[in-house]
Amino acid sequence: MNNSISKKGILTLLASAFFAFTAPVVSLANVKNPGLLVHAADDEATTLDPAQVEPGEGGETIILQVYDRLLDIDPYSPNLVPSLATEVPTVGNGGISSDGLTYTFKLREGVTFHDGTGFTADDVKFSWDRAMEMDLPEGNAGALSDVVASTEVVDDYTFRATLSEPVADFLNSVVVSMVSSIVSQDAVEANGGVEAGVPNEFMAGNMVGTGPYKFVVWNRNENVQLEVNDSYWGENAKLDVRIEIGGDPDVRVLGLRAGEFDTVETDPSFVADLEGADGVTIYTGGLLLEPLHIGFNLNIPEGSLPDGDTIPEDFFHDPRIRQAFNHAFHYEAFLNGPLAGYGAFNPHYTPIGIFGHDPSASVYSKQNYAEAERLFKEAGVWDEGFSVSVITEEGNLFALMCLVLKDSIEKLNPKFRINVLAVAEAVFDDAHAQNPLEYAMWAKNADPAADPNFYMQAYQHPDGEWGEVHGFANGYKDADKVAELIDAAAVELNPDKRAALYKELNEILYNDPMWLIGAQEGVVMAHRDWLKGFVQNPLWPRPSLKFSLFDK
Amino acid sequence: MQLRDYILRRLMVLPFLIIGVSIVVFTLTRVGGSPIGIYLSHEMTPDEVLEIEQRFGLDKPVWVQYLQWAKGVLSGDFGWSGISAAPVADVFPLKLAATMELAAASGLVALFLGIFLGTFAGARRNRAPDHITRIVAVSGASLPQFWFGILLLIVFWANLGIAPIGRSDATVFASINHPTGLYTLDAILAGSPRAFWDAIWHLMLPAITLGYGATAIIARMMRSALVEELQQDYVDAARAKGLAEKLVLKKHARRNALVPTITVIGLTFGFLLQGTITVEIIYRWPGLGRWMAASVVRGDQGTLMTYVLFTSVLFLIVNLIVDVVYANLDRRVTLGK
Repeated sequence: MNNSISKKGILTLLASAFFAFTAPVVSLANVKNPGLLVHAADDEATTLDPAQVEPGEGGETIILQVYDRLLDIDPYSPNLVPSLATEVPTVGNGGISSDGLTYTFKLREGVTFHDGTGFTADDVKFSWDRAMEMDLPEGNAGALSDVVASTEVVDDYTFRATLSEPVADFLNSVVVSMVSSIVSQDAVEANGGVEAGVPNEFMAGNMVGTGPYKFVVWNRNENVQLEVNDSYWGENAKLDVRIEIGGDPDVRVLGLRAGEFDTVETDPSFVADLEGADGVTIYTGGLLLEPLHIGFNLNIPEGSLPDGDTIPEDFFHDPRIRQAFNHAFHYEAFLNGPLAGYGAFNPHYTPIGIFGHDPSASVYSKQNYAEAERLFKEAGVWDEGFSVSVITEEGNLFALMCLVLKDSIEKLNPKFRINVLAVAEAVFDDAHAQNPLEYAMWAKNADPAADPNFYMQAYQHPDGEWGEVHGFANGYKDADKVAELIDAAAVELNPDKRAALYKELNEILYNDPMWLIGAQEGVVMAHRDWLKGFVQNPLWPRPSLKFSLFDK
Repeated sequence: MQLRDYILRRLMVLPFLIIGVSIVVFTLTRVGGSPIGIYLSHEMTPDEVLEIEQRFGLDKPVWVQYLQWAKGVLSGDFGWSGISAAPVADVFPLKLAATMELAAASGLVALFLGIFLGTFAGARRNRAPDHITRIVAVSGASLPQFWFGILLLIVFWANLGIAPIGRSDATVFASINHPTGLYTLDAILAGSPRAFWDAIWHLMLPAITLGYGATAIIARMMRSALVEELQQDYVDAARAKGLAEKLVLKKHARRNALVPTITVIGLTFGFLLQGTITVEIIYRWPGLGRWMAASVVRGDQGTLMTYVLFTSVLFLIVNLIVDVVYANLDRRVTLGK
């Protein structure tokens, strides 16, 4: 027996020694993974093709690093800066015609794609035409095809686009968007070419751009690796990049604390787990341009609402009810709770940080039960009460916003009932694919944009993307006036006149709200202290980082 | 019935079972939501949705869709993986290899520890070692994997920094070829001790997390079976003949106690495969489970259907193997008479 124990003891000692001497040596130096930036991403791309990527989807993050566009957004401001174009076109420099229809871009010479082929105006024309010809519904080709009437190669280094009508935000919303990225014509034509309505399988999983990073490999559901493009036309990036994909959010937090990750995608709910962590900086500069909103459906098909909903289909046609919901919401509870104080109250019609935002505009920011009660009574629903469902995605801020709404409304009157249906993202999207939507309310966030026209067209115009789906024309007191002001602001090139139009719109929309805006979420990014040059711009696709600017 | 006839009969029934399973899988995934959920956006128009449906042939009758899918499966075309932007058939083997490697490592942990602990406890019934082993076993079966896994990560990865996360060091992984997709085996084939150690080092925590739960089940089964066997007459007879206790235990009682335990081990393999979902998410292990979980959340049914079909067929085959092994171990088992 004693012999047996001593044998085991020896084996244990040997095993311990083996582990101690052969285990990978963990660097005691301050900086882990020198020369490499490890970014822990929230989500995985579904495509790397600019012509197929959906705005806000994970692929945009990688496209931003590997492809260039004609213009870019300055890291430290919302201003446009040249990229593959040598200057930002203006009427003054002759880049924009006096009628606002023709944009001429002078292009950078001596630029090469990552496959070694040269960049010319043909590639620009090919890239834009390709996206418009493919016109994939899951992508963002409409951003181009809705406004671009024709494209033209003037010479090898001059490209011209003619618009179908003047569009004030063409450069800010279209030219800098990921769908306008410049791809290698040679690479595409050698790998499947262009076919209308059909995704290019090669481009979905490979990238040949001119950007500061070269694409190395995409290990599905694991990581994406990028390497520094030593032949970049601009300042070279300093760090190679490995984007770690998905996984448990708590593991991202642990990895950042352990120094295994340099940057992690976070939202305000992470702050409590990271505050005070050694070597971790929580960056909280500015606001995201994706206001968190709850939509009112004014186009509910008869008999389609979920079991238990007692409201009539025209419930939200009455502006007093929409106003009452806006007055009843506990904005401070949402901002100081789920958002941990990082955010601001604002109507998303013109978010803080973009042109047209008016700090003096009326905004729902304080719970006003007295006014909500008055409006509900006037609308005739106070005594009888109601039950209504709101659908949203589970496990994120949207669901928490719905719970704040539930709490706010049900406390106001016990006869009111809000049923929060928090479902998987795919189920939520599937519900929206049933048009008209069979729910009276839904919650998510707006897409980001650099110009107010996008928000107005998409979220307020009675004939716009959501206006049509939700039947805003059924509810606006003066739908024609709203449409007229939005259309006029879209083509108004005089900034003062344009700002005045948005000011007038804001006041109308405050009194006739089609949305309940919970808050404009604050930027919360966490990174290791050793990361130098950290900067974030909400006008870049989320997580709004350009890795080429970092060092460590 | 001869064992050979029994196996042949089971093999003949297998294709019909697989067809039945494929119909169930196809139907259930269709009921579970849109097959193109991953491409849908809440901002799409009905025309845009229809366009994507047409791209994937979803505008055709369901039975036509099934036949097209089944025809594709038979020819090795499992469709397009929306979450991976690649054919399912290209990605699936890589994910399968990663999961099999993890399941095998966990299985080894569970098998050796389970049989050892079960024998150890069973031979010392109602004594302190038995009670201690019971606590260990109950803990393994009770601790939620997500909790136990996170706990190990906090201690060994985040705080002590002595264990890694993921499947490999990207640089080391890229330094060798991967003909089999099994990192450990590829490292051996490449003659790279560095890669082999990298593979083992990365397997350690997830294999312990996953294997611990299964260890408990096997140990408890082994202990119960052994206690029962040790009370049998043949054991008394062996002892009466003067056979050493160690031989009685190892050559007689343990061998017979393994019969019911083998069934549990077979089922444990299924448990390990299912368990990899949680463990792979926590440890960022790039295997089938994590891939499947992502496909469920994001509505990618091309990937999901392949996974469910694969695991269903695998269970059918594993059950067949268990039945055969069971019959082989214990000749008293009747073969379908």
